[in-house]
Amino acid sequence: MSRRSIAVVFAGSGGSGAMTAGAVFLRAAARAGYFGMMTQLFGAQVRGGESASLVQIGVDPIEAQPDRFDAFVALDWDKVEQFAAEIPLDDTSLIIADPASGPVPPGIAKAKGRVVSLAMTGAGESKLDRALLGKRVNMFAAGCLAALCGLPEQHIAGAVEAAFGSKGQDVAAANTARALAGAQAAPALALDLKLAPPRHNERWLISGNQAVALGALRGGVRFVGCYPITPATDLVEWLAPHLIKLGGRLVLGEDELASINLALGASYGGVPAMTVTSGPGFSLMVESLGLAIAAEIPLVLVDVMRAGPSTGIASKTEQSDVNLAIYGAHGDAPRVVLAPLSVADCAATTEYAVYVTESLQVPVIVLSDQMLGQATAVVDPVSDRPAPLKRKINGAGASQPFKRYATSGDAITPMPLPGTPDHEWVAEGLTHNEAGLPASGAAMHAAQIHKRARKIREFDAGERWGEVTGEGDTAILAFGSTVGPAREAARRLAEAGRQVRVIALRLLAPLPVKQLAQALTGVRRIVVIEQNDTGQLYRHLLGNKAVPVDAESVARPGPLPFRPSEIVNYVA
Amino acid sequence: MTDTITTASAATEPQHCVYDAKDFASGAHPVWCPGCGDFGVLAGLERALAKYGRGPHEVVLVSGIGCSSRLPGYMSTYGFHGVHGRALAAGTGLKLARPDLEVIVVGGDGDGYSIGGNHFIHTCRRNPDMLYVVMDNRVYGMTKGQPSPTTEPDWDSDIAPGGIGLRPFNPLAVAIAAGANYVARGFSGDPNGLAELIVDGLKWPGFAFIEVLSPCITFRPEQRDWKKMVRPSTLSVEQDRAAATALVLADDGFSLGVLYRGDRASIAPALPTETTMGDVEREFAP
Ligand SMILES: Cc1ncc(C[n+]2csc(CCOP(=O)(O)OP(=O)(O)O)c2C)c(N)n1
Ligand code: SF4
Ligand SMILES: [Mg+2]
Repeated sequence: MSRRSIAVVFAGSGGSGAMTAGAVFLRAAARAGYFGMMTQLFGAQVRGGESASLVQIGVDPIEAQPDRFDAFVALDWDKVEQFAAEIPLDDTSLIIADPASGPVPPGIAKAKGRVVSLAMTGAGESKLDRALLGKRVNMFAAGCLAALCGLPEQHIAGAVEAAFGSKGQDVAAANTARALAGAQAAPALALDLKLAPPRHNERWLISGNQAVALGALRGGVRFVGCYPITPATDLVEWLAPHLIKLGGRLVLGEDELASINLALGASYGGVPAMTVTSGPGFSLMVESLGLAIAAEIPLVLVDVMRAGPSTGIASKTEQSDVNLAIYGAHGDAPRVVLAPLSVADCAATTEYAVYVTESLQVPVIVLSDQMLGQATAVVDPVSDRPAPLKRKINGAGASQPFKRYATSGDAITPMPLPGTPDHEWVAEGLTHNEAGLPASGAAMHAAQIHKRARKIREFDAGERWGEVTGEGDTAILAFGSTVGPAREAARRLAEAGRQVRVIALRLLAPLPVKQLAQALTGVRRIVVIEQNDTGQLYRHLLGNKAVPVDAESVARPGPLPFRPSEIVNYVA
Repeated sequence: MTDTITTASAATEPQHCVYDAKDFASGAHPVWCPGCGDFGVLAGLERALAKYGRGPHEVVLVSGIGCSSRLPGYMSTYGFHGVHGRALAAGTGLKLARPDLEVIVVGGDGDGYSIGGNHFIHTCRRNPDMLYVVMDNRVYGMTKGQPSPTTEPDWDSDIAPGGIGLRPFNPLAVAIAAGANYVARGFSGDPNGLAELIVDGLKWPGFAFIEVLSPCITFRPEQRDWKKMVRPSTLSVEQDRAAATALVLADDGFSLGVLYRGDRASIAPALPTETTMGDVEREFAP
């Protein structure tokens, strides 16, 4: 019987090429028309340590980590055992390894999977050949697994060439040869891993971080101030060359205090601007986030969350910056917080964030997380494009002196671009009067606070507040990378005859209380799922009376992803 | 050295003088104590901009927090009054995004050298084509009299009885070492002389840093004597950073005028657009 999806792990020591194996396997599947998703695990070394790529491919879109893996491919066994807790295997899993690598270590063997021997090193290779062109055990393994899943050789070869093309003909050819040798070794294993035929559509291969960058570019971001931090760095590394070629610029700040201010300066000048960081950097940026709110300067702040507090676990996921994103700042400092619903949705959510910040003149935080950001997915080309919204810059007809922060009338007041004659104004972080001069009277202080609060209160995200899937009187409320597993859990429950609604929240602040009430009509049981210990979203929902007090909270820290089975077990 | 001079600011140099100093005053009444040195800096800036010839709408004053950082509100130009210490970063972002604007960052010694010290170093290093005017009164004025990085070691204060006991840091030497292209010292008691330095600094390519001795008559009344101590510098160095460093380190801190002018390249400008979103998106095909 052919399968609808298959989950494979490639693992090995530093230099074994486990990541490249996973990437080639995923790309071959994408070229053949399948969907897929890959996440990565790294050891503690800064560079070149052991690693594992976790890849699931299938006929239908994949948005969650699998409950278990069908195959574990060991390129070697060196230090690989440490990943055991993050790679669920069972007695139907295949453990594929070269007997020359030694016995299966106990941490992996304890799952009692079936061990399959596969000689991966080519007999005809000289030592020099290997030194020059790489060991290529990884390509053999990727080719073999791809063939076992039924991926055509032309797509396996195409994927290898796409991965190695930039390294020269020789390297690409040598690797292709090894991948095809792996493919040819597949039939002898007599394993049944064949996937059902794909639906052959045009696909994109994209990571969540790349999708955020794409959304920013689509939205018109042309200035980025940033400071490197895992797991946000690869976002800006992908973005930088594209941004530069689009006439924009990326400035590497000396720290996050500078990065956010670089972006605010550019934004004040009229160029849509963004800063990108993770928890520790976000903490530093909170100071000037308050400035952006008080002075009403547009800014997209992307937080690719990692495990915290403090330096936490740099490379691993958690959803524990919810409080910081929604409340972080002294004073009353309302802002907009959006969380993407999937890897693909990172693009539309970020593009929307640009439009919202430009039109409301309030910073918008895009709350992504490591699991979404560093997952590479095969998706339908991302065609969801929010309707553009622009900054209000025309102050024509205004009285003199120009009242940048007028408190009567529309809460959103024009911010003419510097360079515009007769509308000079000062962006002011002190409590200010309507003309933007520092003021300390109680009435003006309240008037300006209320002006800013009104912008947020009157903001209507329309359909973009979130997405509801499924029916039934039980609702799972999720955001970010927990949406995928929640939806997969609901799908399984539905298959078992139990209807469950998933409410995926994109707009975390201001809470879309009305839309939520609508989405919750007929619901008797609410389960709020999030990956932090204190139930940060749950408390936010309760505090806003967006859910009743008997709503249930399923909150636990990262970095282990929520798996669909965990949610099914809780809800059922 | 392969660095070359950038001529960006020479290209935008104005042709006509059609403005008067008072065109640059906002009319708002400063919160400063009567006699504060910062009044002289405000006057110097207004006169300099009138002479320089770009209109108030083409100029943006960026500042942090402190008595001195209040200055943008007193001018008729565009302004950005941000948070304590971060003005140089905001100014740099603005200048890089909008090279057509004249960006002038102003502030105090606490704002620029203490909380903003890291940004000071790195702005010198980036060397953007903008002007930085520090009103140095060797004290945190706004918080009512604590020692700053430029305060004398034995200056007595409530928070550091008997003196802080640390040698003041030399911002001019730091600026030269970190790569600023123009380093000068002015005095708030001589607004005309200061205006000349400001015009010169605006015209000079790259990052121009003008340290202005600007007395805090409230918390450092003894600084009234500065007018007797200042004198024109007998030396001014072009290009040679080692010689310029020696000059500012040997100086007693009261020599006025241009002390160093270099020819380091500024941070590179943005490039012309050479791709489309369509091309970017095609990269996602597997
Ligand atoms: C983050 C932060 N810390 C502390 C302060 C308090 N504060 C306001 S102004 C200032 C020092 C200003 O000194 P300086 O820059 O020399 O300006 P002056 O008042 O002397 O002109 C301090 C510490 C603040 N506003 N923000
Ligand atoms: S406290 Fe000092 S620096 Fe501040 S306004 Fe008064 S005199 Fe000027
Ligand atoms: Mg001071």
